[in-house]
Formats: sequence, structure tokens, C-alpha cells
Amino acid sequence: MSNSAKMPHEQIVKIKLNDKQMRENLRTAMHTLQKNRLNLVENKFNDWQGLRQRAKQAKNNAIQSLGERLVEFEKNATKNGIKVHWADTDVDACNIIYELIKKNNVTKILKGKSMASEEIGLNHFLQEKGVEAIESDLGELIIQLNHEPPVHIVVPAIHKNRYEVAQIFKDKLNAPYEEEIEKLNSIARTHLRDQFEGLKMGLSGVNFAMSKEGAFWLIENEGNGRMCTTAPDIHVALCGIEKVLETFEDAATMVHLLTPSATGQFIPTYNNIISGPRKNGDKDGPKEVHVVLFNHNRTNMLAHEDYHEALRCIRCGSCMNFCPVYDKIGGHAYQTIYPGPIGEVISPNLFGMDQNSDILSFCSLCGRCSEVCPVKIPLASLIRKLRANKVGQGENKAFGSDKLEHSKTEQIAFKLFVKAATSGGIWRFNISSAHTFNFVLKTFSHQLPVIKNWTKYKELPDIKGTLYDKLKNMEGVSYE
Amino acid sequence: MNKKVYLFSTCVCSSAMPQTVINAIELLRLANVDVIYKKNQTCCSQPSYNSGYFEESKKIVLHNVALFEEDESLPIVVPAGSCAGMFSHDILELFKGDKEFERIKRFSERVYDLSQYLHKVCQVNYEDKGAPLTITWHTSCHAFRIQKCVDSQKALLSQFKNVTLAPLQYEEECCGFGGTFSIKEPEISNAIVSAKIDDIKHTGAKYVVAGDSACILNIQGALKRQNSDIQVVHLYDFLLDRIKGANAYV
Repeated sequence: MSNSAKMPHEQIVKIKLNDKQMRENLRTAMHTLQKNRLNLVENKFNDWQGLRQRAKQAKNNAIQSLGERLVEFEKNATKNGIKVHWADTDVDACNIIYELIKKNNVTKILKGKSMASEEIGLNHFLQEKGVEAIESDLGELIIQLNHEPPVHIVVPAIHKNRYEVAQIFKDKLNAPYEEEIEKLNSIARTHLRDQFEGLKMGLSGVNFAMSKEGAFWLIENEGNGRMCTTAPDIHVALCGIEKVLETFEDAATMVHLLTPSATGQFIPTYNNIISGPRKNGDKDGPKEVHVVLFNHNRTNMLAHEDYHEALRCIRCGSCMNFCPVYDKIGGHAYQTIYPGPIGEVISPNLFGMDQNSDILSFCSLCGRCSEVCPVKIPLASLIRKLRANKVGQGENKAFGSDKLEHSKTEQIAFKLFVKAATSGGIWRFNISSAHTFNFVLKTFSHQLPVIKNWTKYKELPDIKGTLYDKLKNMEGVSYE
Repeated sequence: MNKKVYLFSTCVCSSAMPQTVINAIELLRLANVDVIYKKNQTCCSQPSYNSGYFEESKKIVLHNVALFEEDESLPIVVPAGSCAGMFSHDILELFKGDKEFERIKRFSERVYDLSQYLHKVCQVNYEDKGAPLTITWHTSCHAFRIQKCVDSQKALLSQFKNVTLAPLQYEEECCGFGGTFSIKEPEISNAIVSAKIDDIKHTGAKYVVAGDSACILNIQGALKRQNSDIQVVHLYDFLLDRIKGANAYV
């Protein structure tokens, strides 16, 4: 994904925080998603924590034997009549898809929802080659019509309320302005049915690939995914290599966790398990099924002692649904296709620290994301480790770290902090002479705008008395 | 014979809320616990650790660990869940693969949040001498998710029969402090604390009780700026007030 149009960090934060409508839409939507998930986890599952542990184990097993899994998937998928392609980079993956398009004289493809396709910048790539890529997922359609990237990895238009959607449909589809959700759905359905007619090639993502089966699993709610994968003659599925699991049972475990975590649904409306093209005697289904397995720096993460944990991600979006920062600034503030806590970990790892490490400050380390993550990715801890890479610390840094400039003033501030915090005498002197504010924050103020940034929105505390004189005279206290 | 503990009073509490440290010690004394206060103690290192300055943080941790090694049979009690969580849990990650790891592990196993120590080790039983009062409670993220001491904090509060708890609707949401986060992203921090304040106001309570001085500075600082007279009170100040019937919070 191109980052050429990126806005300065502070500027985008300000713009998004001032977007009152977006914030209200997100606040309501995120609280609803949180509540729905919690209800399910409490009332429908006997052992949610046990299921998380099993999913973590299954994903770890697959990732630790990824080479074997991929070869096995290729072997069994080929046996099933699926054509498997390999792409190392994002551009390689785009080119493979474009070659298939050219070969079949296709001018238009229809897409089911796929974050992988956003990651490799497929729509833009095809547009430049004169091929139209049309989104068929309702949320994706709304933002495509409005020329926006997804705001969220599962619910891409969640920042828009129905009145805004009504206006978009009116402006872009020449539809009548309708505020009722059923009527808006109906407008989208009519528009999409026209698009599906005569469709030659459909593109989808992959939720889970199963190496022993040589098949893959797609879940969705709208039926558009099934249309994209069964109506056209050719179905192309785009699949990050980390999506390959070993068994059907492993994939089933993931599906059990995915929909409750994502939207608070017990099961998805559609489960599509694709095991090959139409066979002799079949009356429908695609004549060709292609799977494009792509890397795009995932093997770098795989080789890392910590960041490999983020390859377990099943793209449920739960971490952003529960993030106190995400609902205040929205996904677009991250200026990368993967926002929220998981985005803070994988965007710098996939696109480079020099491209995306500014988003590492979008985190108060509250740890709620790690708590809700269905595959137990220690997100807060990984964000902290990437911060270390950002300031030049840690072994085996995420790629692009060496291109970052380091703030000398920040380094000096922390050096002085260490000097004080490793000397009882300096520390006590400083605490005893600080009457206006927490001395720790004050310590940094010579180098960094600590007090200035605090007092923009918050008062300083009044400090009454000092600690040490009182301690010396307390009964039962040995001050030594 | 009295029990004996080390107290680690944390940098924020020591510098901005010294009376809370004194009150924490008084609570220990009421439970017949003697306190050793190592005067050279400083900070748990979270400001540098959470900013990614791991090497600097290790130096700070080692400085403090050394102070508490004189008598390794004594627990180390901390009146803040966040700093307790750093010392009992996060330092294991910081020192993973380090030659000092075993030493750090021994230290981490001795760390308690004060609420856990009072509730689980001392098994205190408090009598409420205060007037009837409705409060709300702020759950601190690291107390809840890392030190896992919020159960103990609430168990202590629930012993006070004249205190009614009006819970926050979004109790498990962060208050927006996040250490250096509040300085690096002041606008976002303000948006988060403002959401917390809306939630607090919704309860109608005049007092918010919380167990972490950093959250208290953050919420109180924003409340004051927004001209609210709602007060944020440290758990240990509140407990002692109720035990003594001092009725400072009415």
C-alpha cells in the first residue's frame, strides 16, 4: 500500500478527534460489539478460555511447521483440482492475479471482502491496468463508492451511520434517499445483482486453509462471498501464508472463536468450504479455482522470537473493538490498512518501521486487547517491544528500524531519569523539592514538553508535605 | 509477633500523594505489620520501560532489587497495582534471557499489591465508622490485568457496610493515563479521560475511589480542568477514613 499521501501524525489525530459524528458512530458501535461478544462468551460457551488455549495451540503448531503445511496444502489442493500460485511480495501477488485476468480477457472482477487484497493494494494496481475491481461486501461497497479505505478490518464502514450511507447511495448510485436500513439494503442488492450478471471472475480472501484437506474456508454474512466464489467461471482466492492450518478440526476451532469475537454472532450466516472447481457432472460452481499464497514479509515475522506470535491473528477485529484509542480516532488515523492494536504490531512488520512506526504511540498499554484476543496474542507486550526497536533497542529489530531517526533529546531525558532513579540521594532530594507536580514527569520537562502537554487538558495536583520526614518518625517503621 | 514487610512506595505516590503512603503504612500497622522503608528506593521503571528504553529500565530495576535482598524472607508490598504488576510480572519479560533472570524471578515472587496483602495474607476485617455514602469505583488497567488485584481491592471496600457502590457502566475501560502516553498523545488521552468522566457523572456519585495514584492524578486533573467538584480518592485514604470515622468524604 502506498504511503505517499500520508498526513503528519499530529494533524490526522486532530482531524479525527474533531470528527464528532464519526466518534459518536464508533462509540455506539464499539460498545454494541463489546456487549454482544460478552453476552455470548458468558452465556453460550462452557469454556471460552479453554477454546482460546486450543486455538493458540493449533495456530502455533501450524506456524511452527509452516513449511510442511504449505507443501502439504499445495499437494492436496492440486489433487482437488485447485491451482496453487506462490507470491513473495505484494506486487508479485498483484501480478499473478493480473496475469489470470489478462489470460481470460476479463475487464471486471467482483470481490468478496478481503483484507489481504487491501494489504497488497490490489484495487489500485488493477485500476492502473484498466481493470475494474468492484467490492460486493456491503461495507466495502459503501466506502468504495465514497473513495475511502476500510476503517475497520471486519466492519469497514462502521464509522458511517445510516443517514450518511443514504446520502452516499443517493450521490453515487443515483438512488432515492432512504433512511430505513431495509431499503438501503435493497438499493445495494439491486446494484450488486446487476454487477453479478455475466460475471467471469470473482476474487475472495481466505479465512482458513486446511493443509490435510487441500481446501479452504470462508465465512461471511451477506451471501456476496458465495456469489463471488460460485457464480463466475473463475474463482481466485488470495491467502496469506499464515492462514494455513493443518486439520479441519483446527479450522473449526477458529471459526467458533472468530464470529463471537468479531461481531458477537454465535455462527456466521454463511460457511463456504471450498474444495475445488466444479467436477464432471456438477451443474454449477466455478470451472477454475486458484489460490494465491503470498508472503509479503510474513517470513520475517516468523523468524522473530516475539513478533511471530502476531501471525496467529485470525482478523476478528476484537482488539480494535475494545481499544480505548481506536474508537476515539477511528481506523483512518492509523494511515495503514491494519489499524488498532493488531495493526500497531503487523503494519510496521509488514510495511516497515519507517512507514508505520508512528502509530506505536496510539496505545496506553491498558492490555484490554490482549485480554480479548481469541488466539492470545500478547499485543500490548509486542507494541512495547516495537517501541524499543523504534528507539534503537532490542535484538533482531523489525525491518525498517535502521532507517528511523532517534530523538536525541528523548535519549538524554531518559539518561537523566536513569541517573536519578539509580541514586537514592538524588531521588529524595528531587522529590522533597518538588511542590507542584509529580517529580518524575517534571524530571523530563527540561528536555520534553511534559508539563506543557499535561496542562493542556489537566490540572496539576497540589502536593501537601513531604514523605521522608514523616516516615522517619512513624512508629513501627524502620527507615533505613 | 508482628509480621514484617518491605514497602515500595512508588514514584507517583511518593512524590505527588505522600499522605497516601503514610496512610498505607497505617493500614499495615493496624494489621500488626511492621514496615521496613528502604530510603534509597526509587521507581519501578515503567516510564522508561513502556517507552521502549529497556536497557535503562534494567538499571533502575536492579538498583531497587538490590535494596530488598537483605532479607529475602520478607514480602515487598506496593500501594499501586501498576507498579506491583511491573515488579511481579513485567520484569520477568524485561529480563528474559538476562543473566540476572533467576535473581529477578526470586524478587518478583515476593511482590504483593497492598490490597492483596491486607485481604489475603492479613485477612483484615474492617468496621465501618463512616456515615452512609455512595461512591463509584475506578478499575485500573494494570491492577486488573497484570497484578490481578482488583478482586482484593473490591473485597476490602465491600467490608464497609455504609458504603454503596454505584458501578461505572464501562468499568473496564482505561482512563487514558498510560504513563508517557498521556504526554505523547495529550489530545487522545484527554478524549479517553473525558469519556471516563462522562461515565463517572452518570453514576451521580461525588467520589471516585481508585487504587492507583497515576489514574487518580489523571482523572482528578481532568475533572478539575472541567470544573467538576467530583473528587477522586485513593483506596487507602478512603479505607483509613472509614475505619477512623473521620468522615473527610461526605
